[in-house]
Amino acid sequence: MTSHPANGLDDVVHQRVRLGILTIAHEARRVEFSYLRTNLELTAGNLSQHLGVLENAGLITIEKGYAGKRARTWITLTTAGHAALAEEVTHLKLLISQVERADTQPSRH
Amino acid sequence: MTTESAYPADDPHRLLASTRELARGVHRAQRATWFPLLVLAAVTFASIPVLYGHHTLTCKAVPPAGRVCGVYSTAAFVYWPIALVLAYAAIAAFYIHRSRARGVGTRVWPYVTAGIIIAVVLTCASLWAAHHPPAGGYDILWLHGPQSLGWFLRLASPSGAIGLALLVLAWAERNRALLVFTLGYLVIVLVPITFGWVMPLSPWSFLPRLVIQGSVLLLGGIGFALAQRPARLPA
Repeated sequence: MTSHPANGLDDVVHQRVRLGILTIAHEARRVEFSYLRTNLELTAGNLSQHLGVLENAGLITIEKGYAGKRARTWITLTTAGHAALAEEVTHLKLLISQVERADTQPSRH
Repeated sequence: MTTESAYPADDPHRLLASTRELARGVHRAQRATWFPLLVLAAVTFASIPVLYGHHTLTCKAVPPAGRVCGVYSTAAFVYWPIALVLAYAAIAAFYIHRSRARGVGTRVWPYVTAGIIIAVVLTCASLWAAHHPPAGGYDILWLHGPQSLGWFLRLASPSGAIGLALLVLAWAERNRALLVFTLGYLVIVLVPITFGWVMPLSPWSFLPRLVIQGSVLLLGGIGFALAQRPARLPA
């Protein structure tokens, strides 16, 4: 008996904002804090909380620096972050396909 | 500014759709396709006065008592590698500046690396071919001589090098429009363009080819600049 795909979902990643952060960091290779805040429509405090969760889980690295006189914070996905994102997307697709299969099968009473 | 509670629930369909939309947004922010095309158009047009008149005839004896000759531009072997390396350096600098301004990493490195490698390798291949004319000989437009060699030499030309590197940019930027444009450009590079009036040994033999290829790059650059204009406006 195979386990339900929902059982494979990682609570750290299976959350809209954190999945969004991982997706953007994956596509951008390296992303700045302000880009994430604008595109995920979050407050700085809220975004910082999510980044903290992902950093503690070892999925991202946060690098602080300066561009001229402006302070910048750059976020990069770790190898574990890439793997976690790929796993989450796989589980989501499995979940969708299972739900769609269940919807198309005739009900037995 | 909204808060997290305003977002849809963690429905798999919505989560996947949201990730796809975010990925597309990153791609839009990273693309600056118009800039390389305009730089490469400028490099192509700038080559016209440089290439004019600097041609060399290389001949070798072919028994019995015959000889075959190849005509090639000597200036091309100096101009194109330098011009292309400078162009790729300018493109890399622009993408890095843009990356810092936008807050997303750049995907330009595979393109710049491939562009420089392809330019150097194809210049060496063309140089070798110029000094080893085939039994039938060939001319500056590579119209006369073995057909397969003509195709190879047109692909190994600087314009071919530009086209092959643009394929890498299309892949790196996940840009289908650029892929289609580049394939069209490569067809123009590979098909011999003469209009039936070009004198093969005229010092202006190369002109129609370079004008057409430069114009295609220029128009492509303008087209992509217009298409990507909303993404270039500050948020």
